[in-house]
Amino acid sequence: MEHSRPGVTPPSVPESARSRGGDARDVALAAAGDADAFRRLYEAQVGRIHSLARRMLGYDLADEATQDVFVRAWQKLGTFRGESAFGTWLFRLAVNLMLTRRAQLAVKRGREVVDDELLGLQPDRSRPETLGMDFETAIGRLPEGARQVFVLHDIEGYTHEEIARALGVTAGTSKAQLHRARLLLRRVLGKG
Amino acid sequence: MNVGGFATGPHPELELSAYVDGELAGEALARIEAHVLACDACRASVDDLRAVTTTARALVDARPATDLWPGIARRIGAVPPLEFPQHARRQAPAVMRIRRAGWRISLSWPQLLAAAACVAVLSGGAVWWGLTSQSATIREAGGLGGSVQATAADYEIQRYDSAVADLQAVLDHNHDRLDPETVRTVESNLAIIDAAIAQARRALLADPSNPYLNGHLADQMKRKIRVLQQTADAVTADYTGPS
Repeated sequence: MEHSRPGVTPPSVPESARSRGGDARDVALAAAGDADAFRRLYEAQVGRIHSLARRMLGYDLADEATQDVFVRAWQKLGTFRGESAFGTWLFRLAVNLMLTRRAQLAVKRGREVVDDELLGLQPDRSRPETLGMDFETAIGRLPEGARQVFVLHDIEGYTHEEIARALGVTAGTSKAQLHRARLLLRRVLGKG
Repeated sequence: MNVGGFATGPHPELELSAYVDGELAGEALARIEAHVLACDACRASVDDLRAVTTTARALVDARPATDLWPGIARRIGAVPPLEFPQHARRQAPAVMRIRRAGWRISLSWPQLLAAAACVAVLSGGAVWWGLTSQSATIREAGGLGGSVQATAADYEIQRYDSAVADLQAVLDHNHDRLDPETVRTVESNLAIIDAAIAQARRALLADPSNPYLNGHLADQMKRKIRVLQQTADAVTADYTGPS
């Protein structure tokens, strides 16, 4: 496990048999020190990891956190036993690392976002293409607890029990935070 | 009970999310379903919550705007040595050490301080360097005499000049590897630093023994090395050949 936090087992990343085979070869090569093979793994996974980082930690920290994930993965490749797909293993490592980072940040900034800020993110209905971006931005502005639960549950498919273990809260708290997040976000969709 | 589309009783706020997620069963599910059927407000809320979850599931993962691999490659030691221009190798091989993660100019702060002091001397400053016995560099060297100190400091300024020249040569040689915006930013920063160095040197002409000015000059010199080094690192990290 990445750290002392109970951690979570994320839903498996859908991966084709071919990509699994390619990953397995590259993982073996990378574990032996082949940086080119590791770069191929990076190229295949960076979008998912960076999106997770962006949503959980915000744009400002996403690049650094993504790099940290891959550096940590490089260091820990020797512990990857292939019991799950590499993408699943990497994602678990990423979630745990970002939860740790998030806990450190929470101590630092104790940030809470008032609803008015989200109200300021009402989408431009004349430009439907901006809707997704507004929604992503709004996720980033959710209160910390609500954001973590929303990202893990509604985007990444974790259960409340898994989230509760990872965040050190009760399942009831996770449910309440999720509902709070949804109520705030529905305004971004022009509802509520 | 439903009166004109409004159900009686409290709205089951939190349970609406559980209902949307299909987490309810048995009596709880029947109760919420009955309420939602009877309550216009809660039915609308359910629609809204479903819209949020649908939008969330439809979010597309996006790659970062900038390539993060160079930074990762640097940190895992996957960057091969950079190809040096011939004249850079000839000029000052002693100040370079090539390692797997790239290459580094190794000038310590005391060395730069000594170099800064030498700048003061060479700038026409008085005999401060020769008179003082407090230089960190000299202390490290074991209390050398004034003339030897000047020689040592002169050596440091030569090392500094060589380091700057080498780094500048590497950047010039690999100019095409950097995007124009980066080049503009680097040049702008270097211009600012050079101005600060020039200003500090002018001030030292009037007050060559001023410890603040000497420290400030050393800082600016180190800053210049750092900017050049970071830019050289960026060039190095972009190298994609076999490691």
